[in-house]
Amino acid sequence: MPTRSDPTPMDVTREVINVLDEVLSLGGRAASFTRETHLLGAIPELDSMAVATLITTLEERLGFVADDDLDGEAFATVGALADFVSAQIAQ
Amino acid sequence: MPLRPPPMAGSFEPRFITVDDTPLGARLLLHHAPAQARARGLVLYVHPFAEEMNKARRMAALQARALAAAGLAVAQLDLLGCGDSAGDFGDASWARWVDDVVHAARWLQQRHPARDGESAPPLWLWGLRAGTLLAVAAGARLAEAGSACHYLFWQPAPLGKLLLQQFLRLRAAGELAAGQAKAAMEQLRAELAAGRAVEIAGYTLSPALCKGLEQAELKPPPAQPPGRLLWFELSAVENPRLAPAGAATLAAWQQAGWQVQAQAVQGPPFWQTTEIEDAPALLDATARALLAPPSAQPAATEPAAA
Repeated sequence: MPTRSDPTPMDVTREVINVLDEVLSLGGRAASFTRETHLLGAIPELDSMAVATLITTLEERLGFVADDDLDGEAFATVGALADFVSAQIAQ
Repeated sequence: MPLRPPPMAGSFEPRFITVDDTPLGARLLLHHAPAQARARGLVLYVHPFAEEMNKARRMAALQARALAAAGLAVAQLDLLGCGDSAGDFGDASWARWVDDVVHAARWLQQRHPARDGESAPPLWLWGLRAGTLLAVAAGARLAEAGSACHYLFWQPAPLGKLLLQQFLRLRAAGELAAGQAKAAMEQLRAELAAGRAVEIAGYTLSPALCKGLEQAELKPPPAQPPGRLLWFELSAVENPRLAPAGAATLAAWQQAGWQVQAQAVQGPPFWQTTEIEDAPALLDATARALLAPPSAQPAATEPAAA
């Protein structure tokens, strides 16, 4: 579609941080997150169900369908997650 | 969230309509009569997929009563295999669901016909999530038959493919973070491709249902002339913004000549929350937009988060 413009990497990172805060009910704590912030294993709220909700919410907000074979590495840090999402959008 | 008392409402009657002569032909319609003799408009609610329908039932009922109290005739339809309609979920196909919506819309129009010298009350198809995809598919059929309609979307789902993927993934949720989801997903897809139904979260999904959902898109139907599109998204954050995901779809409707109003309002995702929750801001915004004359509304769309 001619009007379609994919979000920039910075937009994606910002959206990822917003969605983390919303899905994990962090109450604004995510505002201090950077690309280097660790996620899986570092944030107790991020369990396996939260991972599923997180990816679902990102898909719906940003309009992509994630591959079936996504793995834990995509959830290691904010930056890894943003890069994963950007790559999925670009597909 | 505090529960609000139900708004004052006209009467409502549950009734069955017959969509075909098979033993699976009965559909439940909950008809909310308008609070005045002549309906200002007709609104048909098309529910979302599987468990989301049950979660959303309260919000749908609250909105239906509020609109009926304001003079609109509203009907809530249970699709084949859902709620109190005939059949099991496994009997459903996408095409039969679209038929159900068309039949219910015609029933509503026949129940509230044009009076002498007046035009027929405008018809709105009101969808939530997967219901938005069914609404446009049914609306296209109604338009072909000369019956144009307007659309009210709650949390629209631009891609049916995404909804299906997410539902299939429920089977693999535990394996997602461990990277083990792929095998489970591949097995589900192989079952469907072989023409076999799959069972997920207590729901049996026929291949015909999955295929139709997967191919469904929120494209503007060729109504003559284009009507109004009210598009509402919910977000739990303060100062919610429209999701970037819908931008291309909204632009397509505007380019096709539809009068589009899109808005993000604050509230919980009541179609999936563990407890039944209300989104009062959505109820208010919906009633305001639907009841306002179109000319009094800004046709603009608030900018999506870029």
